[in-house]
Amino acid sequence: MAKRTPSIDTKNLTAVQLMELDSCTRCGECVKWCPTYAASGQKPGLAPRDKILRWKQYMNKSYGIKAKLFGPEEIPQSELEEFKDDVHGCTTCGICGTVCESGINTVELWEAMRANLVKKGIGPYGKQSMFPKLIGQYHNPYMKDQKDRLAWVPKDVKIENKADIVYFTGCTAGYNQLSLAFATSRVLNKLGIPFAMLGEEEWCCGSALIRTGQAHINDLPREIAKHNVEAIQKKGAKKVVFACAGCFRAAKVDWPRLLGKELPFEVIHITEFLAGLIKQDKIKWVKPINKTITYHDPCHLGRHVGVYDAPRYVLSHIPGVKFVEMDRVKEFQRCCGAGGGVKAGIPDLALGVAESRVKDALATDSDILSSACPFCKRNLSDGRDSLKVDLVVEDVIELVAEALGLSTEVPKAA
Amino acid sequence: MAYFSGLSDVLRITFVQIMILSTIAIVIFLYGMMINFQKWGAGVTGYGLEPQEGTKGSAIRFLKTWWKQVTEESHHGHGKPILEVLILDIMFQRRILKRSPLRWFMHFTIFAGWMTLFALSGMMFAVEMTEKIGIELPFTPAEFRDILSIPNYIFGYVLLIGVIIAIVRRLFVSEVREASIMYDWTLIGVVFLVTISGFVADGIRTGIIWNFGLDPASAPPAALFHSVISLLFCIAYIPYSKYIHIIATPLAILANKGGE
Ligand code: HEM
Ligand code: SF4
Ligand code: SF4
Ligand code: SF4
Repeated sequence: MAKRTPSIDTKNLTAVQLMELDSCTRCGECVKWCPTYAASGQKPGLAPRDKILRWKQYMNKSYGIKAKLFGPEEIPQSELEEFKDDVHGCTTCGICGTVCESGINTVELWEAMRANLVKKGIGPYGKQSMFPKLIGQYHNPYMKDQKDRLAWVPKDVKIENKADIVYFTGCTAGYNQLSLAFATSRVLNKLGIPFAMLGEEEWCCGSALIRTGQAHINDLPREIAKHNVEAIQKKGAKKVVFACAGCFRAAKVDWPRLLGKELPFEVIHITEFLAGLIKQDKIKWVKPINKTITYHDPCHLGRHVGVYDAPRYVLSHIPGVKFVEMDRVKEFQRCCGAGGGVKAGIPDLALGVAESRVKDALATDSDILSSACPFCKRNLSDGRDSLKVDLVVEDVIELVAEALGLSTEVPKAA
Repeated sequence: MAYFSGLSDVLRITFVQIMILSTIAIVIFLYGMMINFQKWGAGVTGYGLEPQEGTKGSAIRFLKTWWKQVTEESHHGHGKPILEVLILDIMFQRRILKRSPLRWFMHFTIFAGWMTLFALSGMMFAVEMTEKIGIELPFTPAEFRDILSIPNYIFGYVLLIGVIIAIVRRLFVSEVREASIMYDWTLIGVVFLVTISGFVADGIRTGIIWNFGLDPASAPPAALFHSVISLLFCIAYIPYSKYIHIIATPLAILANKGGE
């Protein structure tokens, strides 16, 4: 019979979020747009509408009228385990929220459900559980030595000790996608903009922990936010430039929320920064790029913080570029599949979504599929490779570097 | 659609019954809403928090948390002004229109028809009560009912159009049919039942179109039936069914400032 205590609790789920479960009208829009649901061959459990329904049922079993009168109904552990798998099969891309007819803030809901379950000892998913240990110990998720944060910096790049502008590289660009770091630093140098970097003091932004429901473990993201903000302040920065959508989102939305106060400096994405310079006519292009280029909006740059125009503005101002839009752009963008811990947790799913996105680009006959996040670049490149198609995947900043006559090639030894 | 009215002396008893029934319906509604508010209020008050050990869900906590979210600035910068949200997203249901004009038409006719009939019934009720307590009005309740009959018909048909579209969609669009669960069917089924019973009750009384050859003598029980199911389904049943969206959806849209 009924158990005395409810099988689920309400940790991390706000009163408004619990109400949102009852405001879903089951219109089905989210199901139509969800990229992981589509790429999984429409696995029913991945449909956002279904996740809402299930948690609503859990709530009713635990706190609804029957539970009030006759005691809560038990939810089998296996059901919660299965739910955990489904709620992690989500890139937190946010399109379900954009199209939701009931205006539900779905991403926050998924993240709250994840954290709620992790606190119960259910989840996260697969390798995601390594994040707190790795990021706690190494301050980056790639087990690299913090001393090597600036190991990539080529001799020609000049970094100030203190400056108004700090370039926050991010782990992915700083360790694995070096050409982005080359491009960003050389472009800033070429444009005569002095900038500092945090080096050893740059800790992973914490995005991977927050997105996968592990923010509470040792309170790491808060510690990270505090550390990074202090390190940035020590450099005397008024503005922090990001070339990684994930880090940018974390700094813009998550850090202030974790710290409970506004950041003492401005955070800005490199494409916004460059668009500003182009408007002031401060960029003298050196070399045209006579290519057709399309642009993939990173979810964490577009839908999450609303930067849609700047990257397009930059691309369309590069001489020679023929800019074309593909299907599903801006707020209706189709996710690349990497975010929300899916790349680490469920790589096959990430690859499936990436393939769909590469196909969108191929349909436009573009030569180059660009984006503005090292994570997107990595996953879109993987999608292209698995489709074995002829398409260049390059970040906007790499294209800018090329048009300024700069090399982004990573020397073999590095 | 006829609001059931206890006009004649013969129907005095029915009037009392209706009053009792209304009270029961309202009590069931309030009880259910309290349970819902407490269920929602079992949630935490802000990002990343945990409920305090040993506390139970509280309606006050829900209302406070909701109000805080409505009034605070949104982190994402997507927020729209509250008045715009109220008018465009809630009254006009812009979020449905953006996704599908057909579904918007379907819902808007249901919404507008329903709300108007609800208001008209309320007015009819008010007029009757005024008369009952002996205040003189420039018209009798019977005359007032005749005045209301035109808008009643118009909005009755507006509602009916929406309901029929919704049912046809659920029955014949395979994608929608397959995804439909009992929760969906009861809402639209009940709205359909209430609408049709209203037309029939009125048709029997007036003998126009919807009487199905029934004897006008069966008008009072038909009207009574319509009143009973309206009260039970449209008020009492709200907190226990998908009807809850009438309350929860506008509250969610407001809390999220119109949504992303
Ligand atoms: C301001 C308040 C309301 C909002 C924001 C709202 C929102 C919604 C939404 C978004 C849907 C899903 C539509 C779709 O499938 O695309 C829906 C369905 C529905 N709503 Fe409302 N609603 C409101 C008030 C009402 C009212 C007062 C009624 C009256 C009965 C009503 C009756 C229905 C019905 C019957 C459906 C289901 C249609 C179907 O089964 O396909 N709604 N509502
Ligand atoms: S956030 Fe994106 S991936 Fe996750 S459920 Fe919503 S649409 Fe699907
Ligand atoms: S889009 Fe929103 S209202 Fe529609 S089914 Fe999905 S969560 Fe529910
Ligand atoms: S977004 Fe990813 S790569 Fe960038 S700092 Fe965060 S965890 Fe590291």
